[in-house]
Amino acid sequence: MDYIPTVKDFIVDNFLFGEEGDLDENTSFFDADIIDSTGILELVAFLEETYDIKIEDEEMLPENFNTLTNISIYLKKKVEAVA
Amino acid sequence: MKICNNCVLPETFPGIRFNDEGICQFCERHSKVPEEKFFTTRERFFGKFEEILGKIRGKGTYDVLMAHSGGKDSTYTLKILVDDFNLRVIAFTFDQGFISPMAKENIRIVCANLDVDHVLITPGRSGMIKTFRESVTTDVYPLKALERASAICNTCMYLAKASFLRYAVEMNIPLVAYGWSPGQAPVQSSAMKLNPPMIKQSQTLLVDSLGRIMNEGLKPYLLDSRHYQMIDAANEQFTGHFLYNIHPLAFMEYDEGKIIASIKDLGWQHPTDTDSNSSNCLLNSLANQVHLDRFGFHPYAFENAGLVRDGYMERKEGLEKLNQPMDERLVVKIKDKLGL
Repeated sequence: MDYIPTVKDFIVDNFLFGEEGDLDENTSFFDADIIDSTGILELVAFLEETYDIKIEDEEMLPENFNTLTNISIYLKKKVEAVA
Repeated sequence: MKICNNCVLPETFPGIRFNDEGICQFCERHSKVPEEKFFTTRERFFGKFEEILGKIRGKGTYDVLMAHSGGKDSTYTLKILVDDFNLRVIAFTFDQGFISPMAKENIRIVCANLDVDHVLITPGRSGMIKTFRESVTTDVYPLKALERASAICNTCMYLAKASFLRYAVEMNIPLVAYGWSPGQAPVQSSAMKLNPPMIKQSQTLLVDSLGRIMNEGLKPYLLDSRHYQMIDAANEQFTGHFLYNIHPLAFMEYDEGKIIASIKDLGWQHPTDTDSNSSNCLLNSLANQVHLDRFGFHPYAFENAGLVRDGYMERKEGLEKLNQPMDERLVVKIKDKLGL
């Protein structure tokens, strides 16, 4: 399953106000000031609700959520483990 | 002005779109989540909170550091942590110089009546005034941060949160509690572990935002290698359960009327020296006015929209709150104090 389009839509909608701009699969959300410390809470909530997963304490790491590619890698592991 | 027919977000809200029924995309997405999931998620996080308590209770200097602004929500959260969960709590107030006199009296009375220890930190006045002034006159925060709160509120929260974190680490306190309403932060973050990489990330954001304004003045808000060693040691002591941010109002009943009635029993009185949108801060009217003038939407719109969407607030009430006039007298007075 390709997770990137759905997550990208969420990022563009919620953090970039509908303007995709230069966002690509490896843009760092933190370095590019796209997501701040409160924004990460909204992203986690979205991922849990959309993919019916529980993000564990030890998985709350910037490297799991800082780019579309890394979120996709994380989701693949997580969702397949649940399935 | 066009406003979402379901919540209170206006057409001026960044990136908003409306469907043919005049419903915004945030409400559309919310409507796709089954209603029972709302309750099961709350139950799940309540369970997680209780599980954490089982691991940390009685092991630290205190069980919880309560971020206590003196407003109604943090006062109520402090009360339930003490009375309902029987935790050893230290209340911590970050006074940026503009907590109202009545709110300070509320803090004093409530802490005395709950018999909790209380710490007050008041940063130097000139540095705070400069930081607030720069916050409203220059671009300090990304637009996303300003979607949820005014620039002044962001400045206060960034510094307050960093103060709470540092104090909790230094005092070996495993939980930092906030009185955030369900509209301010999602329930999925209501019992969230702060891993060192996440802490480092948020510290970087703090430096990037306020470093150029505060320079050396930012040092008391930053962690150094010594703190990270303390976190590692504490995680051994707490079997991996150090350190959590919690905001219990996300998974507990949230009824503003009941909250106010409950804290009035503790001697809390609604301040008459703040504006109607705040129960503790003198900066609020100016912060809201500047935000409205600059961005065309109220900084409380996002929070109130969330409360309306989740059924905690009637849409009519949400709109009324956003349309209340600013306290002009207070705006002028605070502008003068900030040198604007």
